[in-house]
Amino acid sequence: VSISDEPETLYKRLSLLVKGHDQAVLDSYEYFAVLAAKELGISVEKVHKPPKKIERLTLLKSVHIYKKHRVQYEMRTHYLCLELKYLTSSTAAVYLEYVQRNLPEGVAMEVKKTKIEKIPEHIQEPVWDTLPQVEETEVKS
Amino acid sequence: HAPPRSERMAVDQDWSSVYPTAAAFKPASVPLPIRMGYPVKRGVPPPKEGNLELIKIPNFLHLTPPAIKKHCAALKDFCTEWPSALDSDEKCEQHFPIEIETVDYVSSGTSIRNPKARVVTLRVKLSNLNLDDHAKKKLIKLVGERYCKDTDMLTITTDRCPLRRQNYDYGIHLLTVLYHESWKTEMWESEKTEEDMEEYIWENSCSQKNALDTLLRIKASENVSNVTKEEILASEVVKNYRNSVIALKNEGETEDNISQYKESVKKLLNIQALP
Repeated sequence: VSISDEPETLYKRLSLLVKGHDQAVLDSYEYFAVLAAKELGISVEKVHKPPKKIERLTLLKSVHIYKKHRVQYEMRTHYLCLELKYLTSSTAAVYLEYVQRNLPEGVAMEVKKTKIEKIPEHIQEPVWDTLPQVEETEVKS
Repeated sequence: HAPPRSERMAVDQDWSSVYPTAAAFKPASVPLPIRMGYPVKRGVPPPKEGNLELIKIPNFLHLTPPAIKKHCAALKDFCTEWPSALDSDEKCEQHFPIEIETVDYVSSGTSIRNPKARVVTLRVKLSNLNLDDHAKKKLIKLVGERYCKDTDMLTITTDRCPLRRQNYDYGIHLLTVLYHESWKTEMWESEKTEEDMEEYIWENSCSQKNALDTLLRIKASENVSNVTKEEILASEVVKNYRNSVIALKNEGETEDNISQYKESVKKLLNIQALP
């Protein structure tokens, strides 16, 4: 295993939102993701299920006339939100790759990463103090 | 025809060798008596042989707990430890004040790209930046809606560049420019009027002039020797009045504020008896 010298970026929080059409699939996936996080030593802050959204369409049943006879379809999207705390970039890369390779078919995921950083050097002090004295130029109106 | 493989499987076999990767459901390889589907009238759900419902649904047979533990044991070498000195949010805030939020999207479809992935959000607490009083007020005025007073957080959301790295650089550039501009003092800033002030200052305001006027006239009518302005301003009653007026203007009208104002006005004008 090679170790690189550049300093690791730190992620204060990693929020995984998993969307699928079937609640049972998402439940199994939740068990898998939580167990994987525990085995790799990642602290799971909370796991919650936002309420499902149902999108309904009402279309005409027939190709030509018969306006009074329609057919209704609905698309259900179930959500699952996993919040993980305090990961380094290599741990996050390992965990995300493992979890995303085993995403079941037909399930989508959004990952929100919150990176924390120090204040860059050019904001520590205002630059006007250190600039050499420049003569004031005429301001053209 | 030959009996299915499930009848020759031992109870304590290694399941991760039967389903090492994600695969469709094979009824001959899974020794469980599963039934799935809608039952016929007065019957049971159909059995697993030739059951399309079981093949359609994604199965997790390749991710049983022992299999997950084996995978994680192999992956553990590539993980690094979180620094133990940063165990609380406040310490992270103190050492690393800037928070950058990025979103990644994974979905199945014809293309893996998602245009929402290039949005970058920067969040800083202004108390961590090196700003003096004038610079802070100017920065808040420049930034407008992006500053939240309750949590003292400046949020910059960048979207205008096509790549995420470019948006991040642009966000840092905006922060730098705001910081430096707020330290500069332009010539026209000296024309700041009372309407532009963010908070109420009592010195040199109508309230102070009115109070002074009233007190001077009271003293003149009582024919007491001329007390100077500084003495009046330094007296207790005037200080009380000043504090209550400042509290009213800055914090809004609450029960305590109004009763404090009433008490200070009563003491100022020497009126008792009214409840």
